[in-house]
Formats: sequence, structure tokens, C-alpha cells
Amino acid sequence: MRENLKFILTKAVEFILTLLVVSFFTFAAFSILPGDTASVILGPEATPEQIDSLRQELGLDKPMVEQYLNWLAGTFSGNLGQSTAFNVPVSSLIAQRLPVTLGMCALALIIVIGVSYPMAILSSRKPFHLADQVFSIIGHIAFAIPPFVLSLLLILLFSNLFGYFAVGQYYAPTDNFGGYLNSLLLPSVCIAIPKIAMIFKFLRSSIITEKASDYIKTSKAHGLSDFSILIRHVLPNTNVSAITVVSIVLSDIIGGSLIVEQVFNLPGLGRLLLMGISRRDFPLLSGMVFYLALATVIIYFVADILNNLVDPRMRLK
Amino acid sequence: MRKFFKRFTSVLLIASLGLSLVACNGGKDKNGVDKNGYGGSVTVGITQEPKSFDPHMVVAAGDEEILFNIFEGLFKYDSTGTLQPCLATDYTVNEEATEYVFTIRDNVKFHNDQKMTMADVIYSYKRATGLLNEGDTALVAELDCVTDVFERDGKLVITLDQSNSEILTYFTTAIIPASVEDIGSTPIGTGPFVFDNYTVGVSVTLKRNDNYWQESLPYLDSVVFKILADMNSGDTEIRNGYIDIFPHYTMDKAELLPTESFNILTCPSNMVQIFALNSTFEPFSNPLVREAINYAIDRDALIQLSVDGAGVPLTTAMSPAMGDAYDTSIDGTYSQDIDYANELMEEAGYGDGFDVTITIPSEYLVSVDTTVALVDQLSSIGINATIEQTDWSTWLSDVYAGRNYEATVIFLTSNYSAYDVMSRYETSNSGNFINYSNPEYDEIIAQIPLTTDINERNEMYHELLAILVADNASCYIQDPLEVVAVSSELEGYQVYPMYVQDMSTVRYIASN
Amino acid sequence: MADRKAKLSTSKVNVKLTSDLGRISFVVGACMLGFVFLVFLISVFYTPYNPNMTDASNILKAPSFEHLFGTDHLGRDVLSRIMSASKYTIFVSFAGIAIALVLGMLMGLTAGYWGGIYDKAIMLLSNSIMCFPGILLALVAVAVFGSSMLNVVFALGIVFSPSFARVLRTGTIAISNREYILHAKILKVNPFRIMVVHILPNLLTALIPAVVIGLANMTLFESAMSFLGLGVQPPAASYGKMLSDAQSYVTTSPWLIVFPAFMLILYILGLYFISEGVRIRTSRGGTIE
Repeated sequence: MRENLKFILTKAVEFILTLLVVSFFTFAAFSILPGDTASVILGPEATPEQIDSLRQELGLDKPMVEQYLNWLAGTFSGNLGQSTAFNVPVSSLIAQRLPVTLGMCALALIIVIGVSYPMAILSSRKPFHLADQVFSIIGHIAFAIPPFVLSLLLILLFSNLFGYFAVGQYYAPTDNFGGYLNSLLLPSVCIAIPKIAMIFKFLRSSIITEKASDYIKTSKAHGLSDFSILIRHVLPNTNVSAITVVSIVLSDIIGGSLIVEQVFNLPGLGRLLLMGISRRDFPLLSGMVFYLALATVIIYFVADILNNLVDPRMRLK
Repeated sequence: MRKFFKRFTSVLLIASLGLSLVACNGGKDKNGVDKNGYGGSVTVGITQEPKSFDPHMVVAAGDEEILFNIFEGLFKYDSTGTLQPCLATDYTVNEEATEYVFTIRDNVKFHNDQKMTMADVIYSYKRATGLLNEGDTALVAELDCVTDVFERDGKLVITLDQSNSEILTYFTTAIIPASVEDIGSTPIGTGPFVFDNYTVGVSVTLKRNDNYWQESLPYLDSVVFKILADMNSGDTEIRNGYIDIFPHYTMDKAELLPTESFNILTCPSNMVQIFALNSTFEPFSNPLVREAINYAIDRDALIQLSVDGAGVPLTTAMSPAMGDAYDTSIDGTYSQDIDYANELMEEAGYGDGFDVTITIPSEYLVSVDTTVALVDQLSSIGINATIEQTDWSTWLSDVYAGRNYEATVIFLTSNYSAYDVMSRYETSNSGNFINYSNPEYDEIIAQIPLTTDINERNEMYHELLAILVADNASCYIQDPLEVVAVSSELEGYQVYPMYVQDMSTVRYIASN
Repeated sequence: MADRKAKLSTSKVNVKLTSDLGRISFVVGACMLGFVFLVFLISVFYTPYNPNMTDASNILKAPSFEHLFGTDHLGRDVLSRIMSASKYTIFVSFAGIAIALVLGMLMGLTAGYWGGIYDKAIMLLSNSIMCFPGILLALVAVAVFGSSMLNVVFALGIVFSPSFARVLRTGTIAISNREYILHAKILKVNPFRIMVVHILPNLLTALIPAVVIGLANMTLFESAMSFLGLGVQPPAASYGKMLSDAQSYVTTSPWLIVFPAFMLILYILGLYFISEGVRIRTSRGGTIE
């Protein structure tokens, strides 16, 4: 128990340090930028007096350290300041778009797990036989297709040829939940496919290694069925690595949704980010970049803790 | 598995039956339209993010086309480009054209249920002309000549500093309630539609104005202006029927839409696509270079490449669609002649060519395509052009307002008025972003508003056009056809020869 | 006893199978990559047409003898554009990896060699970079500093550096305790000389697959950025840009999608196969995969 506590404490310190570095990077990157936020907001025809008074209002005249601490406090209370391009609080912009990206990530994760596990189990039953070879080659190719190419191909296939799925039509989950899921399905598949390939590869080799171990052979000798060996012994022991993989996939999905949202015209965080980029909306960008990085840090942290609880062997690694 | 599948399909059947039952309710068809064609919602695809909802501050044409449905002025354009009385029922003007007197329509209500009063009208025009407070500048630059706005015998009087026969166009300036502090965030007008909400990057929604003074209008319950990432996603959306109307479309793509579900409407757009050469940039300050460029480019090829041939080549700043104000004798001045253009470059001292950066807004695909083709054509006279893409708001502030650029490609829109088109090139005009300056031009354009005879004015426009051609003020490319794809379930959509989406007359074809 | 013999022979078969698989993977990958490089080499000296030449009379023409891969919406020859796009894709991926490698070495070798607080700090730094979704970091950097090719390369180089730093650090720690390194330390050989001359060559087997995978991932990133309009600027061509331009012609002119997508996938897949081959062969038999 003390071991556990010690591990969690070390991880927590690491977590907080990473968080500080990440936040400092984000803040510094957007502070050293050419161009003054106040003059960006006011436009080219503003007088120096107007710019000065806005600088004061925004706290830009204070020393850097104080600005950083204010900004950091703001990010944790959800106050990210005012978007320069849209003149509304950054937090409300993000809140508006969160359901799209979150929904897509959740769907994609379900698809990834739902497809890659059966594939890996099937494949590892008879390594190097037909099913396995076919799956492996498909996996390689799926991994090499860029998500936007995949999106284009899937749009072509499903929307234009069969008229399935809604491309470009988005419903808010509160208005029409079925429509919401429907509009996110195809984009989620596009994000999921390369990740399926990744997890499949990982799980397959992990299951094969596990199956070759002595205790499995013993169980087999005791007359346990293949299925119950798989469920009771093999999968739980690869489980640990699965948590790690899921955490990596989750953080990858956040990045992947960027492009897919653009192709499918979904009003999610990715498109908000691209809008922020094209309008040089630095308060919006710094807020979003930090939150996305924060999400990643948290995912890794939670995965580390879970790994440790599930399998104490991990601590030795 | 099979059992599950069966149950699943029967559930689906029941669900869809239920849907059709609901849809038949209340004498309305599937679009929510009654038998007289009232009701329903229409989605219009737009590719520009709205920048301002303040009708006096708006610069972007993409904003104006939405605001046309919310705000109205004393006059309003109809779809032929003619001014019609709107919130003024009639007007008189004195002989010198320095005093305009308007009778104001009296049964008009603002969207906030307040009655429109003379005080509101005076407030609006004082705000637009910069007379509200000491030291204000005119928000609508062309109304700077207004000296006073006041009420006399229940009528509105507007006086000008000198006679001006071309000012009627600007009396389309919106009338807003005096009681609203920040019109940009709470856009309240008198138009057929009421501003409902704007979700950044998603849509602008308008609702029917039930108190509209033209009682039979509008037909639709709501209009959604859906903001699209770009033309490509617009293409996907209209193909799938998620948008009903797609203006500013391109011919090559419109032709591919299924004809049974879409009507394609076209009309000369009265837009001017200009390859704007900033005269303060070194090589472009030399008129010979500008002339060389005019001879180096192949306008027909550019039109073919950018809009699939759906455009009229332009010689100079005005579109032939402008009628008598346009001088057809200048047509065809610049037919492509690379050798002559090279000679001109040699003569100008740029025989080896030069480098130039063309800054364009990335949102508008037609501009990007035109520019790519332009870069290719310019290389034939040694000009090495590179393209720099910016977003629309950066373009507006840096290139258009800041005039900090070398060259750009853009569509210029205007009111359907020759004066509005030509006044841009007056030295002091705020829209003169090419920094053109010719005292002779300034003199003539200053005389035009003082001239009451229409034929005389047209003569003067011809002179102005000749000056622009002689000076090679800039390089003009085309007036593209406005192409609109409209769902065949709709009728009453009118294409305007200017940047306007008039939704008041649009209605569903009653199906029951 | 007989049973055990049978077991042994199957595992021998597997070993042979894996090493065969490794070789096949490598050869197939090298062929794919070689093809893309061949196209690139030819494009330096010859393209059928000027890749940026527009032609109003040849818009969206299907593949023919005149234009083998057809023409795009501006009448440009797709084959010529694909050829010249290979230049951009190859340059960005290799230059980006070079920068990532240099940065990764600076971080990984030194961190592994010196260890202690310095190591902790470097690892914190590289972990922090890895917490930002890579494409996002690159996009923001390019948006802020302008989307020139050099900025794209630098942005991608920084994004990819931590993955190399990790590989090199782990390897360095393992090797640092070997006797010859300890001897060198005692002889007060310049630490950077030790790192580069004595440690680095031992890490190549671990580094090469990472580099190859890095090349593939960098190509994916670059094409995604061009696709979003933040990579290569028109009229220049890259596979991502060509696909982005072709979006609205998916149904009517599929050749605009098919050829660039094929080349892009070929390049990435080639790299994956090579790295797979290298990995299988260097892991040398034993367990499967």
C-alpha cells in the first residue's frame, strides 16, 4: 500500500511539473509573438491612447511574471479572456464546440476497441496463417492512408454512391440525438481506422507472446477451453498495455479530429482552432492549445496510475 | 442474429410511419408550409464569416447581403437594380439638388415592437453622416456631404453642402432605433426578417418579422445563413441537400448538380474582378509597367479557368452591365500581345522583370484560381509573382484599409450606380486602395453630382473611363456571372445585380 | 521427448518465417520508396509540361496520351504536378527529420550521458513537447511565423525531436556503463567525442527504424498541413495540396484524387515496410515479432 502511495505521489509531482512547463511554453509562445494584442483588437485606425487604455484593461502593461500568473489562474477558473476575432469569451466558444469533438473521440474510441480486439484475437489464433496475413497487410495499408485521404474516399463511397450518412449536416445532441450520432459516425470511422491498425498490431503480438508462456500451456493441459483461457488469463495480462495504448490513441484522436472536422464541415474544436489560426486570435489559440495539452497530460497521468493499480509489475519498469 | 435483425427492421418501420403521420399534421406539408406557401425554413450557404452587424459600419459585401433582410433605408433596391421607395413613401428635391424632403412611412414597427418615429430616422441619418456629436466622422463616407438632418412639417429634410444628383443611392442607408445602444450586437431594424442568433463559425439565423409593413411578406418562418468552411464543403452540402440556396457558386460545379432538384439562376453580378496594382509600389508606379501587364494577360483564358467561362471580360473599372454609363467603344482595348508587352517592359526599364507578391484572401477559391493562372501568364513578361494567402479579416485590414501590399486580386462590389463604381478612384476616397490619383479625374468626378442632366452625366462617365484606360489605372479582369443554385422546391428567389440575398419573396412551392 | 523436438522445429520455422518476412518487407518497401525517388530524380531534369502552366483549353481532361494522368481544373498537367510534388514531399520529410535528429541528439545523448537532474529536466522538457498534439503545434507555429517551406520544416523538426531524444537517451544509459566508455571517461576524452564517436554508432540499430517511421509520420503531417492550406503555397504542388484542390471533383474527375493519393500512400507505405523489415531483422529471431 505504501508502495502504491509513493508511486502515485511521484507521478503527481511529475504531473504538476509537466503541467507547469506546458503552461509556461504556451504562455511564452504567444507572448513573444510579433504584434501587440491591443492593436490587433482595435484595428489599424486606433489611436495610441486607445491602445494604451486597452492594454491597461487587458493587463498587458504589467510585468511578464504577473501576466503569466494571471493567465494561469484564468485557465483554471475557465476564464481565458476575450477572443479577439469574435469578441466573445474564449471559454464560451470552446464550450459550444466541445460536444462535437468529445462525441467524435468517444465514438472513435468505441470503434477502435470494438474492432481491434476481435481482429487481434482472431489473428493470434493461428499466427502467420491466412486470416492473420490478410489482417496484417490491411493493417499496414490502413496505417499508411492519411486521414483526409480516407475521409475523401469514404465520402465518395458512402455519401455519393450509397447516399448513407449525413455529410456536412450537424445536429446538436440536445436537438436530435440520433442525428448527432449519425453526423459523427463517418468522421469517427475515419479517425478510428489508422488507430485500429495500430492497436491491432500491438495487441496481436502481445497476445501471441502471452499465449506462448508456460502457465497458459498448463491451463490448457488442465482442460480449460481456449475461450475461457483467453478471457481469464490472456487478455487480463495484456490489459495493462491496453490502458497505455488507449491513452496514446486518445491523445492522437484529439489531434486527428482537426483535419476530419474540416473535411466533414463539423463545428468542432478543430475548426475553431483553424479559424483562430487564420485570424491570429491569440487568446483563443493559447487557451485551446493549453487545454488540449492539459487533456493529454491528464490522460497520461490517469493511464500511469491505472497501470500501476492493475499491475504492480509496471513500477519496476 | 437473424431474429434481432427482423426486430430491428420492424422498429424502423414503425418509427418511419410515425414520422410521416406527424408530418401530415395541421395542413402543413413536410417542409412545414401551408397551402398558401407560408412557412418553412430555408438554409443559405455562405462562405464568409460575418464581421459586423452594424449597418452603418459594414464594409464586407458578405455582411451586407445578410443585413439586407434585417435593415431598410428610405429607399431599397429591387432585383433590376432600380431604387424603390421603402421607408420613405415619396420625396421631393429642390432645383439645385441640395435639399431632399422625404415623407416617412408611418405604419412601420421595429423588430423590438417599437413604432418607428421621426426621431429614429433623424438619429439614424445623423449617426451615418457623423452629425450626432461634434467631431464625429461620417460612418457612410459618401454621406459626408450632408450638412443637416431635421424635421419640417412632419417631413424629413436632408440638406447637402452642394448639389448632388447621385446621392439617392446612399439613402438606402439603414434606419435603426434611437433607443438601441449597440446596434452591432443587437441588430434591430425594420426589415422582413428579425435577427435571431449568430453562432460563430456555424450560422446566422433570422426569424420571420410578423409585423412587417408589407403585410403579405415574407413567406418563410426562418432563414439560416450557414457558414461553410469553403466552397468545397458548400459543394458537398448542396449536393446532399443540406443547403437550399447557394449563392456565388461556380458554373462548372453548378452544372453538375442534378437538374431535377436544383435550378441554376444567373445574372451579371456587376462585380469587378480587379488585379489591383498598388501605385505606391515601385514598379507599379510606372504607367508603362501597368500597361504591359494589361497587354500580357489573356482575360478570356482567365475567365475560362476561374469561372468556367461564365464571365464578361473587363477593359476597365466598370462593368458593361451598367448600361448607358458604360462606353462600349473601349471594349477590346487590351487584346493579349506578349511582344508589345515585353517592349513596354523594356521601355520602362524592367526588361529583366521583377518580383512581386500578390496578397489574396484564401477563402475565395475563384480568386485563388485566377491568381494562380495570372502568375503563370505574368511569367511570360518576366514578372516573377508569388502568392501570399491571408484570411479575410487580415486582408481587409492590411490590404484594403491599410493599403500595405504590392498587388492583390479581389472582386469589387458596389451599389447599382455608376457613381458608386467610379468615385472609388477619386484621390481622397477611402476605397481607393490602389492609390490612384489624377487631378483631371478628381475634377470631373467632383462635377458629376452637380450635374442634373443624365445624358451629360453619362458623357462624363465615358470621359472618366477613358482616363482610367489611358492611365492604365490597374488591371481589370472580369465581371463574373452571379451563379445561384436554388432548390427546385423553392420559388420567388430573385438574383440581384449586386451583393444581396433578398429572402422576403422566397417561398416553398405549395405541395398540398 | 518427441513432442519437445516437434515444438523446437516449429519455433525454428517461425524464426525463419520472421526473418523471411523481414526481408520481404524490406525489399517491398525499398521498391516502393525507390519508385517515388525515381520520379523525383526524373522531375529534376524533366517534366512533360511545366507543372504550373495553366491551359484554358484543357480543363479537367481525363487521362489520355497527351496528358497521361489527365489535367486539373486549371488545365495543368497532373503527371507533371505529381512529379514536382515529390520534390516538396521528399525535401520536407528529410529536412524535417534532419532537424529533429540534431535536436533529439542534443537532448537524448546528453541526458543519457550525464543523467541526474539535467536528465530529469531534459525529459520533462521532451515530455512536455509530446503533450501537445503534434499537428497542432506545427499548425500554430506555421500560422504565427508564416507558412513558408522553411517554417514548416522547422516546426515539424521540433515536434518530432522528443521521439528521437527518448530512443537515444535509453540507448545511451544502457551503453554508458560499458567498460570502454568508463575508460574513455577516465582518460578525460571530450564528452561530446565520447557521445558521437563511441556511443552513437552503437545506437544506430535502434535509431534507424525510428528515423524511417519518423519520415513516414512527417510526410503524413506535411500533407495534412498542405491539405488545410497551411503548408505549401499555390501555385507550388504537394500531394496534400493537390488532394485538397481536388476535393470538389471527387465524383467527376477521380483521377485528380487517385494519382496523388497513390503516390502519397506509396511513399508512406514504403517507409513503413522498410522500418518493419529493419525491425524484424535486427530483433533477430527469438520471439515472434
